[in-house]
Amino acid sequence: MELTISGAEIVAILPAGILVVTGLVQLFADLGRSAEDKHSEKTHLAMIGVTGFLLAFAALFVQGSEASAGELYAGAMTDDLFGRMGAGVVIMTGLFSTLMAGSYLASRGSNSAEFTALISFGAGSMALLCQATNLISIFVAIETLSLAVYVMAGYFKDERAASEGAFKYFVLGAFSSGFLLLGMAFIYGATGGSVSLTDIAASDGQQDTLFSVGTLLVLIGFAFKVGAVPFHSWVPDVYQGAPVVAVGWMAVAVKASSLFCLCRFLLFTGGGNDLAQLLAAISVVTMLLGNLAALNQQSLKRMMAYSGIAHTGYLLIPLVIALSGDGPSAAASIPFYMFAYAATTLAAFGVLAAISVGSDRDQIHDLDGLAKNRPLLALGFTVALLSLAGIPLTAGFIGKLLILSDAIQHGFLLLALVGIIASLISVYFYLRPVVSMWFREPKSSFELVSASWGITFTVAVCGFATICIGLFPDWLIDLSKRSVEAILG
Amino acid sequence: MIPELPSFNLPVLTLVTLTPAIGALLLSLVDRNNKALLRQGSLMISCLTLLFSLLMVANFDNSVGTMQLEESHSWIESLGINYHLGVDGISILLVLLTCFSMPLVFLSTWKAIDDRVKEFHIALLLLQTGMIGAFVSLDLILFYLFYEAMLIPMYLIIGIWGGRERVYAALKFFIYTMVGSLMMFLAILYLYQHAGTFDLPLLLERLRTTHLLDANQQFWLFSAFTLSFAIKVPLFPFHTWLPDAHVQAPTAGSVVLAGVLLKMGTYGLLRFSIPLFHDAAFNLQPLMCWLAVIGIIFGACMALVQNDIKKLIAYSSVSHLGFVVLACFIPNVETITGAILQMVNHGLSTGMLFLMIGIIYERRHTRELADYGGLAKVIPLFTIFFLIAVLSSIGLPGLNGFIGEFLILYGVFKVFPLWGVLASTGVVLGALYMLNMVKKFLFGPLVHAENRNVADLSPREILYLLPFVVMMVWIGLYPAPLINMVKPTLSLYVEMLKS
Repeated sequence: MELTISGAEIVAILPAGILVVTGLVQLFADLGRSAEDKHSEKTHLAMIGVTGFLLAFAALFVQGSEASAGELYAGAMTDDLFGRMGAGVVIMTGLFSTLMAGSYLASRGSNSAEFTALISFGAGSMALLCQATNLISIFVAIETLSLAVYVMAGYFKDERAASEGAFKYFVLGAFSSGFLLLGMAFIYGATGGSVSLTDIAASDGQQDTLFSVGTLLVLIGFAFKVGAVPFHSWVPDVYQGAPVVAVGWMAVAVKASSLFCLCRFLLFTGGGNDLAQLLAAISVVTMLLGNLAALNQQSLKRMMAYSGIAHTGYLLIPLVIALSGDGPSAAASIPFYMFAYAATTLAAFGVLAAISVGSDRDQIHDLDGLAKNRPLLALGFTVALLSLAGIPLTAGFIGKLLILSDAIQHGFLLLALVGIIASLISVYFYLRPVVSMWFREPKSSFELVSASWGITFTVAVCGFATICIGLFPDWLIDLSKRSVEAILG
Repeated sequence: MIPELPSFNLPVLTLVTLTPAIGALLLSLVDRNNKALLRQGSLMISCLTLLFSLLMVANFDNSVGTMQLEESHSWIESLGINYHLGVDGISILLVLLTCFSMPLVFLSTWKAIDDRVKEFHIALLLLQTGMIGAFVSLDLILFYLFYEAMLIPMYLIIGIWGGRERVYAALKFFIYTMVGSLMMFLAILYLYQHAGTFDLPLLLERLRTTHLLDANQQFWLFSAFTLSFAIKVPLFPFHTWLPDAHVQAPTAGSVVLAGVLLKMGTYGLLRFSIPLFHDAAFNLQPLMCWLAVIGIIFGACMALVQNDIKKLIAYSSVSHLGFVVLACFIPNVETITGAILQMVNHGLSTGMLFLMIGIIYERRHTRELADYGGLAKVIPLFTIFFLIAVLSSIGLPGLNGFIGEFLILYGVFKVFPLWGVLASTGVVLGALYMLNMVKKFLFGPLVHAENRNVADLSPREILYLLPFVVMMVWIGLYPAPLINMVKPTLSLYVEMLKS
């Protein structure tokens, strides 16, 4: 068989390729350095990373030689706007995570090139996952990105919480991969041996019970990755043990790429009303449980973990609507919400990284009086929390507006109502850090937080982006709509 | 009444709305230790806003009852959200009230706030933009944005600069208000799906000409909107956040809260709940009127037994605003005119009362009535100003408080004498608790030695109290200019509700 690679195929893997090369360069740049170096900030690694991510981001704007991307690599992947948006979220997240990593890890005495390289490698596989269009490439991309994330979760290998979290993550992750693979095998069997999503969509095996079971198993696999109830129990433990920067990276990039992929998968395979009902139930439980469990957390990381679970719940609403048949275009909320969520969450984790530089502070009361010492960080965190709570003038508000108005339009009043009640609950715990930062006096033992420029820059840019998307969301909404229309054809 | 001014074709409403926010941005560049510049700067900004609001009045045509000075631009096109501003007889006085009180509020905080001066002034200016914006927005989402945007600065003002229980009070305030506004948000989205627009005038037109909503839908939408506004007013039994918020808030916060923020609730009822869903409003009229009347009497009774002066005034607000809610749900030209005047008058008299309690608190650091007494001889000037505010609050003819309450009671008696009688008891009780408070506070024997050396009003304090007195006397003696401004709008409004 003759193997030819077209121009469009090269363009399609350009971002991922650049990221993989970036990771390799980072590894080589750190070769032969002594162990003491782990306390230095290693700006060169960040510089290589930033260059790589910026190049990869620029590559997203390169148009393929063929006007329409169509099926590339024999249907293994595609190069459409939807995939590029997903890759865009991942690349931006990777960029900021790399910026924050150096000073944070150096202060913990474990700064080595593996961490930034793992971000780059992970970002590469996530970019591929957003573009994957057949079962095999989906599975391979998920496994490679998971490997990178497992290692990052247990990066502080001498700490008990880190080892525990990473082990839990790994075991449960392997288990969920099993579900995913089994589901894919069922689908393969039910559709008479098709792996490509297009073939699956066209096949008449969709009525088969085997097919339904397969879709359900795939759904479980993804539910684990995005942390939907009842497959969420790993999230708080992993978040607590992992380095803050890795948590920010996981919270946004893993969730974004998995959701982009799940969205594409469900838009192709459909799944019928039963699956929509099931997903609606998962969404309701996820929203409520995530927010309720977050109410009483003292640890900011755990609070953010449950908040992340709750946001997964909101993000499932568009999928429910899309699955129910009459509103596949509702899926357009997902790219938008992910962008908004990325900006918001990165700003929040920037502040978490700033306060835990040098020590392991992550309790809410560690924020006491931050507004007096570091007003900019406090402002950035406040904006991020308000956006997560869905208060107007922030990106998070527009995201909720999109999701809820679609839900109402397509008659999912109950989902919308639960969404509103859930956000109401969330207001309470999102305000707790705000109270600490603004209303309480700094403790006498409070050392001044010394945030590196990378962290400050991240908080400032992401906080600003949160407000900007909140004020002028039109271009992003438009882009999201077009990206979903591109899939639907 | 105002001589013809050349028309500049300025976007007056945008100027009035955004000047404070732009000023806040400028202030954020000022060095935090330069407190004098921060104070003078925010005073200047609020005076500039007042100037723009006078320009708005100059361009306002008293003979027209529809929306004026409209500005409409597409904002978030893909969601159908427009930047649509406009002002009519219902909102113009409230905008004026806001712009009038803010410079005085700023002037009053020069000594009271010395901690984090920069953040305080920025928060107050942002709050002002939020309040004005909510009054002039004609797009539901835009309104919601401003409505929520007010929440955060107020939350910070109570939480940072408030009293001992400030965190609890701030949180209670925030959560209560959020409950209402999220329900309203859901209702706004639902309405959009059925009527296809967020634009208020268009929405009113569509709802009137076609029967888009059945009785059931109207009931739920009305309930969602009204819940939000009832919490804000606050209407009995949603009032429990108010005493906490008022007592804990710093003086400036209490003044803004009582003076303007509470009016957001009654304004919302008048502007949104009742005209949008008037069938439901009509069906629920008995319930709403009973709640209003209970609020009037309950608030007055609670005020009667308070020992904390701020709490007393807070409960008197519950009572006074009960009149406004009662008027909103028995709409005729008299009641609605009375309601709007009452909103303005309550803003003036309660605002001034809170300012004066702030003044005495700065000197004595207590708000307990038992700690005072016999002050009239020590601080005669203070006593005179305080008495004027009290008399205005209990509705003495010749001062501003009279005209609003009188019009409301007159309008209510015409239609429902029973509610009129019940509401009138509120006036009597009002006189009782207010005069009782004055007796304990200013008159009687001077028992506490600390009270002998309390300083009288300083020139700066007189400077910011005097405008209140001037307005009270002016509205009391000659309310015609205000009534003329609102009249054409209100006759259209009442006609629209009847049809």
